[in-house]
Amino acid sequence: MLDFFKAGSKVLGMNARNLTYIRPNNLKSTRILADDKIISKKMLKSNGVPVPHLIAKISSLSTLENFDWSTLPNSFVLKPNNGLGGAGILIVFGRKKGLENVWVKSSGKPVTVEDIKSHIRNILDGAFSLSGSPDVAFFEERLKLASQLKPYSYKGIPDIRIIIYNSVPIMAMLRLPTKESDGKANLQQGGIGVGIDLATGTTTTAVQGKSTLIEYIPGSRLLLRGIKIPHWDEMLHLAVKSQIASGLGFLGADVAIDRDRGPVFLEINARPGLSIQVANMAGLKRRLERVEGLKIKSVEHGVRVGKNLFGGEIEQELEETSGKKVIGSVEKVRLIGKNDLEEEVKAKIDTGAYTTSIDIELAKKIGYEHLVDEWQKIDFSKYEISRNNADNVAEKIFSEVRDNIPDLVDVSAVFASSGSSFRPLIKIPFVIDNKRIVAKVNIVDREGMQYPMIVGKRNLYKFLVDVSK
Amino acid sequence: MSKTCTLDGEKISCLIDFITSQNVPVETVTILLLFPIIATIVVLLRQVIGMQAFGIYTPSIITIAFIAIARDNIASLRYAIATYVVVIVVGMLMRFALKKLRLLYLPRVAITITVVTLSVLGLLTLGGMMSKIGFANTELFALLIIITLVEKFVSVQIEKGSRAAIILALETLIIALIGFALLSSSTEIGQSVISFILRNPYSILLLIPFHIFLGKWTGLRAAEYIRFRDVLKKIQ
Repeated sequence: MLDFFKAGSKVLGMNARNLTYIRPNNLKSTRILADDKIISKKMLKSNGVPVPHLIAKISSLSTLENFDWSTLPNSFVLKPNNGLGGAGILIVFGRKKGLENVWVKSSGKPVTVEDIKSHIRNILDGAFSLSGSPDVAFFEERLKLASQLKPYSYKGIPDIRIIIYNSVPIMAMLRLPTKESDGKANLQQGGIGVGIDLATGTTTTAVQGKSTLIEYIPGSRLLLRGIKIPHWDEMLHLAVKSQIASGLGFLGADVAIDRDRGPVFLEINARPGLSIQVANMAGLKRRLERVEGLKIKSVEHGVRVGKNLFGGEIEQELEETSGKKVIGSVEKVRLIGKNDLEEEVKAKIDTGAYTTSIDIELAKKIGYEHLVDEWQKIDFSKYEISRNNADNVAEKIFSEVRDNIPDLVDVSAVFASSGSSFRPLIKIPFVIDNKRIVAKVNIVDREGMQYPMIVGKRNLYKFLVDVSK
Repeated sequence: MSKTCTLDGEKISCLIDFITSQNVPVETVTILLLFPIIATIVVLLRQVIGMQAFGIYTPSIITIAFIAIARDNIASLRYAIATYVVVIVVGMLMRFALKKLRLLYLPRVAITITVVTLSVLGLLTLGGMMSKIGFANTELFALLIIITLVEKFVSVQIEKGSRAAIILALETLIIALIGFALLSSSTEIGQSVISFILRNPYSILLLIPFHIFLGKWTGLRAAEYIRFRDVLKKIQ
């Protein structure tokens, strides 16, 4: 219980967000810039960050009357400049065939010039802006949904929120529009937020609405974990660039992925929300504190720092859901022998081998000297073996010598091109990465080999092996 | 202070005694001195507990209105609550009624205020007809204060949607009721707070260092412990 409240110091709350991060890092003048979609679009574009192309801007009734409608492309999006929460956005999918200046919406309903004009008049009147102050309308390019994310989104376009602080990506989340949220990617309205591992760009945990943890897209068998976000590295670089260009010290960038153009920046946010912590099952505050005051020399440096510091959740995640530890192809193993003798060695983790073997010398060190000596006295030449009778012979040997060698638990026959041999088996516990395994281990001469021990797949059921580790 | 001052047989601070002797009504002095305490309660509920509300002014002034309406009789509180609910419900309905007309903001709010005011007038008449004399005689300015809440309500509706506006209105009501329970002269706790303030008016100044502390406090709010409970459980 106490730990629960102690963990509160790692999570970012409203009070700390406002006082510690927004106030000193995001000056009011730069916040206004971020809130103005047209200005921030220009600013990002001139700094080499891709944004949806601006087609035209309409700021007064007279420009509206003189507007040349034939200049509009087949598909476009009409937006209020200071609109909130996606209100007042009109998306047009294509031109109606055979008719001049008639378009169609996603629902298939036709849209005429008169419809568009009336919508723009409402925008200019401030029908969608904060407290009804007059606004500006603009047309921009309609982004096309990237095929990789198509199965996961309902109606709208999913976007990726990346929090950047001090030129370092801190945390990221994929936001998916759902039926409940009516095609909007907003979490409050029932959209899905999926945490992203910063190092790999692969999704981890997911939350729907404010705090319901989910694993699948509701009503489907689409797993939300393990989605690979396309263009991940490029996106992180651009996100850091956008932060440097905006002059905001603490920012949330919203990025969509266009089928043809790749990452496109929709918006930059001077007051990013806190739900990203639930989607990632991680605290922002601890992360922000870790990059505070770091000297970041370049965009690349910032991305590298973010990946190194905040990547790797995937592995933890995997360990927690599967209950298995992820280990590398060479691991330290602590063998627990007789009479409290312990020995730590580097072992080869070999999923190609069936059983576990240790070197004769190692067996001696952990108290099996007697067994090794007795075993070497046995004259194996009196046993005739072939593939067919090997097991029987091994059994025969075991029954003949077991009384003499109390530590022996079994005998195994091994065939190799150099000839066949028998190996003694002992039963011992050993520990890999804090997991204890009790196993039958065979003893063999591994002189000249790099590792005195091989752990075979029979004893690896508690682990997943990452060969790159 | 060698000399002791009293009011209706109760001990009070001589500063208060001096103010009231200049013809400032004691009710006025009391309400004005309670205002910083109400603000403090609102700040605590919002900043530390994590309740939401329409700013700090609205819940504070609604609390004052409640205190004024139910000054003599705690039963009158229900009239205050009834008025509050009517204002919110009518404000809500007016949004849908006016949506089609697509009006500019100020005329729209003016129409809403008109309809809300008439509804409250109707409510009072209804109260009188049902011989609820107390309702018909409800303090005028307190009623007006509750009515003007509708502007705040409408602007939040536009900005954040109806659902958010209703949640904020409910939480504002709860905050006002908590403030009322702690400070109204018709509750026991309220009476002791008031007599304490009248005896020690300078203690109000102690609220300033307290707010300086709160203004620098960056801990998680109680509601955030609930919101982030799964995260906290995982990283503890």
